[in-house]
Amino acid sequence: MTAQNKKPNLNTKNEITWCPGCGNYLVLNSVKTALANLIASGIKQEELVMVTGIGCHAKIFDYLNISGIYGLHGRVLPTMLGIKLGNPNLSVIGFAGDGDTYSEGMEHFIHACRYNADMAFLVFDNRAFSLTTGQSTPTSPLGYKNKAEPLGEFNFPINPLKLALVSGATFVARCNAKDMNETSRIIEQAVKHRGFAFVELLEDCLIFNPSIKEVEGKMYKLDEKKRGMDEAMKIAGEWDYNSKSGKIPLGIFYREEKPTLEDKWPQLSDLKKKKVGWKGLEK
Amino acid sequence: MRLNILFGGKAGQGINKVSEIVANILSNFGYFTFNYRDYESLIRGGHNFNILSISDKRVGSYENKVDGIIALDENTIKKHKNKLKKNGFIISFEEFKDLGRNLNIALAGALVKILGIDRGVLISEIKKEFNSNETVLAAEQGYNSEKERFKIGKLNNKIKVMTGSRGVSLGALNSGIDLYLAYPMTPATGVMHELASRQVENKLLVFQPESEIAVVNAALGASFTGAKTMIGSSGGGFDLFTEAFSFQGQSEIPLVVYLASRAGNSTGLPTYSGQIDLDAALRAGHGEYPRVVIAPGDPIECIEKTNEAFYLAEKFKLLSIIVSDKHLAESEFSIDRKENSVLKVEVKNKVGKEIVKKSSYEHDEKGNTVEDAESAVKNAERLLKKYGELKKEASKFEMIKIYGNKNSKNLIIGWGSTKGQILDAIEGLDVKFLQVLYMKPMSDKIREELEKAENVILVEQNSTGQLGRIIREKTGIKIENRILRYDGRPFASDELEKLIVEKLK
Repeated sequence: MTAQNKKPNLNTKNEITWCPGCGNYLVLNSVKTALANLIASGIKQEELVMVTGIGCHAKIFDYLNISGIYGLHGRVLPTMLGIKLGNPNLSVIGFAGDGDTYSEGMEHFIHACRYNADMAFLVFDNRAFSLTTGQSTPTSPLGYKNKAEPLGEFNFPINPLKLALVSGATFVARCNAKDMNETSRIIEQAVKHRGFAFVELLEDCLIFNPSIKEVEGKMYKLDEKKRGMDEAMKIAGEWDYNSKSGKIPLGIFYREEKPTLEDKWPQLSDLKKKKVGWKGLEK
Repeated sequence: MRLNILFGGKAGQGINKVSEIVANILSNFGYFTFNYRDYESLIRGGHNFNILSISDKRVGSYENKVDGIIALDENTIKKHKNKLKKNGFIISFEEFKDLGRNLNIALAGALVKILGIDRGVLISEIKKEFNSNETVLAAEQGYNSEKERFKIGKLNNKIKVMTGSRGVSLGALNSGIDLYLAYPMTPATGVMHELASRQVENKLLVFQPESEIAVVNAALGASFTGAKTMIGSSGGGFDLFTEAFSFQGQSEIPLVVYLASRAGNSTGLPTYSGQIDLDAALRAGHGEYPRVVIAPGDPIECIEKTNEAFYLAEKFKLLSIIVSDKHLAESEFSIDRKENSVLKVEVKNKVGKEIVKKSSYEHDEKGNTVEDAESAVKNAERLLKKYGELKKEASKFEMIKIYGNKNSKNLIIGWGSTKGQILDAIEGLDVKFLQVLYMKPMSDKIREELEKAENVILVEQNSTGQLGRIIREKTGIKIENRILRYDGRPFASDELEKLIVEKLK
């Protein structure tokens, strides 16, 4: 078998229905590159499992040839957690939207950071509910006008990175979806991280909220180094998700090894040791 | 022979311990007991009471008129004195004022003496429960304070005491449960505690996520990997599961749900009982997809029906709901029969071995999203067909049961926790009792029974007659005669007997 033949087939035959020029095409590419690298490094394609929410991001479910659950809006994280509880040997990757995660799914986000299950969670943050035609999400900037809020958004956006850090996430990163090399590299790192890895992917919605384009010049890459919580919080505070001034750091903000959910539960450690899920366990 | 004894006091005084000690001794002697627990939603203080019904025959309820009152406080006597039979006895806390927290033990000792049971039996039971001399002394002090009123001799019955919560837990263990996920909510929490306490040795995991919404979505995630997964809650938490029920219907990931009802709407009466969520169990969740709803009526049926719920969920990849209530979940029943043989629950699952996709969207057989009309029709018809197959399979199980005088023209229809009350109430009456266990699918035999009967009475613990409505929907027959109770308290069997006799006049 040649090296060429070994390359995994991650493509599907489904027609892609994202808008022309959507940042999600770039994310899809980055994800494929990262997954191909992970498979090359020894993870079996059949053991990769994705969970998606509902929204534009979630269409990736149909475009990736790996197992998964096309779940409910807001519920990506508990569904991922359930997969880990069912078989901790699977590599679980979640794809979610900003509305999905920070609005309807917020309770799960905080607790997923706290549980520290070994899984990677990618938020496609275009700062709008796009599939429902452009309403505001918790990361939309002040004054953002949309059909549901013609007077503009009155509330200040949240800072998901700070929230993840104080909630106990052990890997926190942010990427510009346009930078595919960096995005795929960080996704790969996130999946390899032992513990809960959270990656924010900043992208425009060309139709409803092209505001990331306006602040692109403020973005800079962080050095890859070990940081304490205080320093990570300080960097995460450099951009408040609202102002057009200030710097927007990208890269891995924080990375720490802590006991995972699977380490703490003897039943799950046992499944990991035996390399089986509950289905394969002799009772 | 049947005796009813009421134990009352403040929460925290240990009334459950008194009734437990006495019930243990009596079960060892071969007597059937039924212990009803009436308590408020508080941790210390208030007024709680148990009624322990004792019989030499099977018993599944208590009577309103009691033979004795064991009072751990003044309030108990004030509140319940009117229930005492003419020659009834009261053992009061007043006699043991110096005993402090061992008051309940002394009262148990006094009662054992009244029942005419040997001192040695009492002491060995106390020693089994506690390892303290002080407790033994308290029991003896109680024992010596009273005179024998009854003479309880040994009977030849082999009896176990069990709650519905334990029955559901055993049914889940028999099915090989891997994960139980729940958020605490009375009266469903009993199963969570029971399974959690045995999780490591039984090789399962009990996990409490951040909310019922997380519970149900995590359960579907786990079941997707082939883990046998069950979740549980009461009405409010059950409502939060609802969106994911429809997701279950669409994705066809197996799921078993335990629903234990309280009384009243919303937060309602958290520690009281009602058969008020049958409608919710049958209809919760948008869309059209098959499901199983089973309502066991005693702890043994809890074991068997939970096993069937797992079996059908895995075989047909569907939602199985077990409906119980506070009365069944928390009352202590005597049982003298072994459960039916265990059904092996087989899981067919390839996750981790090949690419498997499950979706909340309309999808093709591989899990890819589709939006065309033909696929929508094909999927709907496939689900209809699945319901037909399910119905056929379920007919192998006891979907209904018939008790009493099988040739009687007087038919009582009931379900769930009223079973024990009805059985005790109809003793000696010319009545047939039809217990409905499968609410969905429902047995065609119900129509036959209705058509054969001259007088039909519906007994339910709700204000609208929910089972009656489903029977009408299914058969077109309206049951006019109804005995409904909706104050959160179960029927006392003597009271129910009177109501039935009146209706049959």
